[in-house]
Amino acid sequence: MKRRSVMSWLAAGALTLGGLSAAPHAARAADAPNDPEVFRFGAILAMSGKADWYGKVMSQAVLQAVEEINAAGGIDGIPMEAIIEDHKSGVAKEGVSAMTRLINIHGVQAVLTSFSPPTLAIAPIADEKGILLLNGGGVSAALIGASKHLFHNRSLAADLGAAAAAHARDLGLEKMAQIAWKSDAGESIVNAVDPMWKDGGGSIGATEYMEVGAANIDTQVAKIRASKPDWVALWLFSPDPGLALKRLREFGVKAPIIGIEYNQDIQSVAGKYSEGYEYTSDYFTPSDDWAKSFAAGYEERYGEAPEFYAANYYEDVYVLAEAIKRARAKGGDYWKGDKLSAEIKANPTFKSVYGGEMTYQDNGVAKKRVALFKVEGGESQFVKYISRD
Amino acid sequence: MDLLLQLFVNGVINGAHYALLGVGFGLIFATTRIVHFAYGPVFTFAAYVAWGVSGGLGLPIWLGLIAAIACAVGLGLLSYLALYRPLEVNRAPPLAPLIASLGLYIVLENLVGILFGTGVRVVDLDYGIYFLGPVFFTSIHLWQVGSFVILAGGLALFLRRTRYGKAILAMTDDPDMARIIGIDTFKITLLVFAIGSMLSAVPATLILLKDGASTHMGFAAVFMGFVAVIVGGVGSLRGAAAGGMLLGLVESLGLWQIPTEWQQSIAFVVLYAMILIRPEGLFSMARR
Repeated sequence: MKRRSVMSWLAAGALTLGGLSAAPHAARAADAPNDPEVFRFGAILAMSGKADWYGKVMSQAVLQAVEEINAAGGIDGIPMEAIIEDHKSGVAKEGVSAMTRLINIHGVQAVLTSFSPPTLAIAPIADEKGILLLNGGGVSAALIGASKHLFHNRSLAADLGAAAAAHARDLGLEKMAQIAWKSDAGESIVNAVDPMWKDGGGSIGATEYMEVGAANIDTQVAKIRASKPDWVALWLFSPDPGLALKRLREFGVKAPIIGIEYNQDIQSVAGKYSEGYEYTSDYFTPSDDWAKSFAAGYEERYGEAPEFYAANYYEDVYVLAEAIKRARAKGGDYWKGDKLSAEIKANPTFKSVYGGEMTYQDNGVAKKRVALFKVEGGESQFVKYISRD
Repeated sequence: MDLLLQLFVNGVINGAHYALLGVGFGLIFATTRIVHFAYGPVFTFAAYVAWGVSGGLGLPIWLGLIAAIACAVGLGLLSYLALYRPLEVNRAPPLAPLIASLGLYIVLENLVGILFGTGVRVVDLDYGIYFLGPVFFTSIHLWQVGSFVILAGGLALFLRRTRYGKAILAMTDDPDMARIIGIDTFKITLLVFAIGSMLSAVPATLILLKDGASTHMGFAAVFMGFVAVIVGGVGSLRGAAAGGMLLGLVESLGLWQIPTEWQQSIAFVVLYAMILIRPEGLFSMARR
């Protein structure tokens, strides 16, 4: 009894001491957030190379969001600053160099990333250094789980491919031929669509691969034509669908062609051969006040309407700002990438520029609808939404 | 069978393209012993200049081609006079021009992006599309084969029938002996840089019309030209032409049964096979 009493007192004393020593820290943390002078974050984008269009629209949207947030007084009075780096249209080692510069020179805690190869390359660095990664452009299924701090507000390639195949099935088409990028993104679509298409009773006449940015795809197109498909799937991203469309139609392939992307670069390469092309994609259309204000501001600054890539990166900056705000409310050394990541996981719902709210799923991907478009008269026309369920 | 026939035609078209690049690159290499890797961005520059004239200014494509040739010749001469010549005069080690050439490659490729932008550039030109039974080809394809025949044939005649051509052949065989017998090797070097660069401008313009131009298109051009030279036999222009044609045919016909994901590897396989089986190349012995 006596012994238990002594032990109890010791335990109580230890708890009290622990409590006394911890309490001031907790109080200090809640009361005094350790603020930086500026919330400096990075964006590793395709600022040069064949796919520089992406870098242009993404960086424009990032800078617009930063400008708006700072004009409204920053985050609790502290401004944001974006450092734009270049991965040269998806070169993994350039992404790693950029990430190293952002961390070691600029001391960033969060990075907006794009393209699958550089994102996959920087993911281990983000884990090691505790850096938050927000992806609005990379589409490979391999990105899921690449880093515990990685979040996506872009539909992944496999989802877009599955939606395109679902549309082909709705059209009653049976024999598919596909041409895909020889990359994580292209292969992830083939891996996702092949079993789905076969399970649904479809057959695959040809699966051809091309290098990203390849100039000569005549052999691939000849093999696709020889397979006599009911439809041709283009698992390619800008500007390569343009060359594929042009060459397929020139070779006399008359079957419907369904892909997962279309933009001005694709249109300029494909020319008249883009007519009738159908594709699935994320779709940004200004629906509520915030979206309309973003679209108007973007058009005023850059003289063109924003599309979904711009919307995604604009939205990402606001997600980052909200995560910082939530983390700051808890005080202490909150300006850390891993703490921001924990805040997003703890409360994964954020206001979306697409309208309403978006919620990051457990795999880090924000769930969005996929839209089907058709090119008619040289213009891309919205057809319908395709549910991802 | 239809597919095989189409792949054969594709192979001839691609082979003609590689062969012309091989002849241009090989002419410079065989005569000067300079591995002019900057041949790639010269090719790119030519395509972008053709785009600027015909796509940007809307002038006829033949004017674009002339501008592309002028640009390629100018850049070729400038490469030699500003970079390789000073190294020669200062008796730099043989590796120095190779390193300088790689540096020039990077500088020129970036310059293309700065001057013309980095996106894909296309010229909207309606060209003929033909079907001969099951085989498809376009008028651009015909021009690719035709330009190779005309330019390679013209070059062969020039080399055999003219004083300057014979001087080039003499320098190709032995530069020191050529100098001893009174050939102005400096002038001949300038001439081969001009002709070799000019030869790159024609396929560059045709690729612009066929697929569009991009800033990195020069790598494939110089790489295929280089492989054509090694396969054909260093020092033999006939070998470079045959090497390019062989490369095009193997690359295309090889994919009849092999998945297309191996397309990029085929050039390496041909290169390694040739180095292992016949390191002197197809024609180097024949030339002697």
